Amino acid sequence: MIVVNTESIPGYQVTHCLGIVQGNVVRAKHIGRDIAASLKNIVGGELRGYTELLTDARRTAMERMLAQARELQADAVVNVRFSTSAITQGAAELYVYGTAVKVEPVIQATRVS
Amino acid sequence: MSESFFGLFVVGFPVLLLLFAWGVGAWMATRHEADLAEREPTVAHLQVHNTGRLEDAVAGPNPPAMVASEVTLGVDHFRGFLGQWKNLFGGQVRSYQMVLDRARREVMMRLLEQAHSLGYNAVANVRIDFVDISGSALTRRKAADVSVLATATAYYVPPKT
Repeated sequence: MIVVNTESIPGYQVTHCLGIVQGNVVRAKHIGRDIAASLKNIVGGELRGYTELLTDARRTAMERMLAQARELQADAVVNVRFSTSAITQGAAELYVYGTAVKVEPVIQATRVS
Repeated sequence: MSESFFGLFVVGFPVLLLLFAWGVGAWMATRHEADLAEREPTVAHLQVHNTGRLEDAVAGPNPPAMVASEVTLGVDHFRGFLGQWKNLFGGQVRSYQMVLDRARREVMMRLLEQAHSLGYNAVANVRIDFVDISGSALTRRKAADVSVLATATAYYVPPKT
């Protein structure tokens, strides 16, 4: 599955548009991470626990989106966008959406933009 | 005697904590900047655009792929304290600006390193977003932290001659 955040894919031509696919995940931070992060926050620097939380959330949301795309038998997802919203203190939603399409390789795809 | 000692502790501990945060925070910021400066040359050959078009794209061994990266940086207590003071009078809060700047550089670096390690030599449509993971960043009382999420599409361009 080709996933891009641009509208087109060089070397490929969109033949069918299958509609929007999406994936979301709401993650809460757990208290252990909060304590570790607040200690780390005294001196600043990277709060690795929160970075990992975001990475996990992004992967999960992405997988859910790709599962939908596979169900539609798409070849690619284009124009992928992330958006986040804070629901309550300590829980955040990560939402990813894109357009599922069917593509065909373009012959002589040496220089396409 | 013990009361005055206790009083000294009550006043002294926050001051010590601030001094500690100031020293270690400054050291960690310097170290992070040195680390970034060291990593930057390894991805300097990558073309970076934030337009939606994939400029000069050529077909490569793999189709273009999306890359994403994220980082959370904390503002140390001393700079947080300075920032709160600054809030009384308004104006630029330089200590926060520097943290935001480092967060953006770090997240770009991770994005480019990811594209580089997958074998691509260009990225387009770079988007950098701030994420509010702790919820209501504006009403929170404790020290600030900042999360940045970056996405882009990695692809191939002809190698530089």
